[in-house]
Amino acid sequence: MSISRTWMTSAAAIAIGLSAYSVPAWADNTLDVAIIGEADTLDPMLSTKDVVSIVTQHFVETLYTFDANWNVAPLLAVDLPEISDDGRTYRIALRQGITFHDGSSMDSADVVASLQRWTEMASRGKAVADRIEAIEAVDANTVEIRMTEPYSPLLSLLAFSNSAAAIYPEEVLGEALSAIVGTGPYKIIEHVPDQYLQLGRFEGYQARDEEPNGPAGGRLQLADEIRFIPVPDPNTRVEGLLSGQYDFADGLPAESYARIAESEAAEPVLLRPFGWPIFAINHKDGLLTDLNVRKALQAALPHDDMMFAAFGDDNFFIVDAPMYPEGWTWRNDAGTELYNQNDQARAAELLDAAGYEGTPLRILTSRQYEFHFKMAEVAKMALEAAGFAVQMDVVDWATLGQRRNDPALWDIYITHSPFLPEPALTSLYSATSRLGWAEPDKEATLAAFTTATDQAEREALFADLQKAVFEDVGFIKIGGFNALQGQRAGMTGVNPSPWPYFWNAKAE
Amino acid sequence: MTRYIVQRMVGMLVVVLLVLTIAFVIVRLAPGDPAALMLGPEATPAEAAELRERLGLNEPIPIQYLSFVGNALRGDLGTSIFFNQPVTRVLLARAEPTVYLALFSLIIALIIAVPIGIYAAYRRGSWLDQTAISTAMLAASVPSFWTGLMFQRYLATELGWFPAAGYGGPDADFWVRMGHLVLPSIVLGIVNSALILRFTRASMLDVLGEDYVRTARSKGMTEWRVVLRHALKNAAIPIITVIGLTFALLVSGAVVTERVFNIPGMGNLVVSAVLRRDYPVIQGTLIVVATLYVFINLLTDLLYLLVDKRVRY
Repeated sequence: MSISRTWMTSAAAIAIGLSAYSVPAWADNTLDVAIIGEADTLDPMLSTKDVVSIVTQHFVETLYTFDANWNVAPLLAVDLPEISDDGRTYRIALRQGITFHDGSSMDSADVVASLQRWTEMASRGKAVADRIEAIEAVDANTVEIRMTEPYSPLLSLLAFSNSAAAIYPEEVLGEALSAIVGTGPYKIIEHVPDQYLQLGRFEGYQARDEEPNGPAGGRLQLADEIRFIPVPDPNTRVEGLLSGQYDFADGLPAESYARIAESEAAEPVLLRPFGWPIFAINHKDGLLTDLNVRKALQAALPHDDMMFAAFGDDNFFIVDAPMYPEGWTWRNDAGTELYNQNDQARAAELLDAAGYEGTPLRILTSRQYEFHFKMAEVAKMALEAAGFAVQMDVVDWATLGQRRNDPALWDIYITHSPFLPEPALTSLYSATSRLGWAEPDKEATLAAFTTATDQAEREALFADLQKAVFEDVGFIKIGGFNALQGQRAGMTGVNPSPWPYFWNAKAE
Repeated sequence: MTRYIVQRMVGMLVVVLLVLTIAFVIVRLAPGDPAALMLGPEATPAEAAELRERLGLNEPIPIQYLSFVGNALRGDLGTSIFFNQPVTRVLLARAEPTVYLALFSLIIALIIAVPIGIYAAYRRGSWLDQTAISTAMLAASVPSFWTGLMFQRYLATELGWFPAAGYGGPDADFWVRMGHLVLPSIVLGIVNSALILRFTRASMLDVLGEDYVRTARSKGMTEWRVVLRHALKNAAIPIITVIGLTFALLVSGAVVTERVFNIPGMGNLVVSAVLRRDYPVIQGTLIVVATLYVFINLLTDLLYLLVDKRVRY
């Protein structure tokens, strides 16, 4: 074949391709949601990643959930449990007439088996497993959880969509599920990894009668289909949103705020506040096992400069000391005078008192989250001004995830978290976390906090816990930051959340 | 001829084995733990260790290597840690967008490069020659992600002529999927046309000065026939070589362009696999790409036979 003939064939092929191209006609009433990547698993018990929670909450449900103010509310349970006077027995009545996507109906045997698996397989379930004496069916529609001691975070754990106490049919359970079958308002139609996860309305769904209230209350199934599309590149998510290809996009770069706000096709959704960057401190090994060195670190850090360097725009961060933002029941001021001291002279004195001899302080961080790295850069300058020798270990996120498990390799690693509805949901306070913060007074406070059942008492104890975070420098909260999401102009029913859900959403 | 092909096949096997070994070693030299990544931020080291055990990542490295090579030679590239599917299946699912993207980009590159290259050589030193050469330099120097971002922003988002990203949803038929490849193909076509253009021009320049071209002209042939029949045919070998290389490069995954346009192809897969530390997928992709490379090279060499009767193996 001569080359000239190849051209002609090629040109013809292209012409055919172009003429046949047309804008895809989506099924009406379909929501296309761009998420930051493929979910690692479709079983929310097995992962604590936010992207797993976002996706799976649409097809898998839990006994409890949270309302718009992060109070625990019933979902598959009829109501909040009856708790015995000694605070150790939870009796949970199950809603009747609930069917799984495979058509079988939910009863106490499914719930008991699912909760058992949760205590064996889920990070959060395993963390409470030794406090659970028994999980038993009382009758077909009632289960009972007996604890060895009162444990107030239990309901929040049962409600959380992350490392979730998901309810599956007994038949599919195993180390891995034989099928992803839940009770949620949507069910899986097709999953093409790295392309889309297609969900369709579950016709057998029994919505709760209450008005929608955050994730609690009625789940209205307004869209016929929801498609989660993994789009790893943040800029591509922005372009896809602005071109009208996506109805919603998660995790957008702050720089795109103005463009989205000016666009006619889309509008920004500002999640204020989203979460907090954290300097996790190694209490097991190395330099920071010395309280004076930790105090020197705390004294030297310029939080306002770090937050500004990391987020740039006032719309996206707040220099704020307490562990919980304005408006949360857990907010208090205990210990906050130690925040944002930016006092390198005092840090130098503390280093002298510790007999510091110039051992490098190793900061383990990653550029996968650029704001982590920028905070570390600013911190390094302030720490060096105070007399610290600083060694920056900049690695990719996968490497960080591995190295932080070995206490010999780091002094500080940088991470972040959304604000979680219940303080006990974060492992930072616990002596068994990889930080290994085991100061005895703090341990006593934490034990009292998790066993107290009265909310006022718990809030007071949390204030003591927060005080310990500052005074013993358990870990360092750098500030609060906001997250940017975006939705199609005129879309309704999506509440800003770290784990946005779409069963009440409607696009124009 | 048969002997030649057999020799080349043996050589190919050696290359692939080498790549396989290097891939295995490099991937394991990189720190990072797939198990810890999959379990998420709240998982404990003990849980990660447990998952590593289940995934077979705790076997001694030499044993992992031997079973990997043994399986690979039987066509089994292992099971993806992340997808929990055979690597061959994962790769096959990514082949369609990558192959079509490569094909379309190559066609666009050829449409741009070959006619302009020939004409630039024919009218050497003219304004068209100068413009073509400097434009080609520019196209080769601008990184493809920049071109991609600009085209995406202005042609897709602002003007709405093309889809901004992706490869179509569940109800997308073949033509809709191909429609998603048009804009990325243009980007890659432009970027890759530069090298082909320069090779075509240089190779034609050599040939146009040859005696037989003068003879052809003196026989009174039309210029059209002289250039396309006599000159181009003799100039074709270097051009075919560079086209083959470009195609191999494109098939192995246009990493950046696939990322920018969110095309679920091999390039995108390999980036994600590295970030996820999905060892079997990284290794599998490298093996497939290496095999493709040597195979396309062999095809290119065999193509010489068709183009130039003087070539004998």
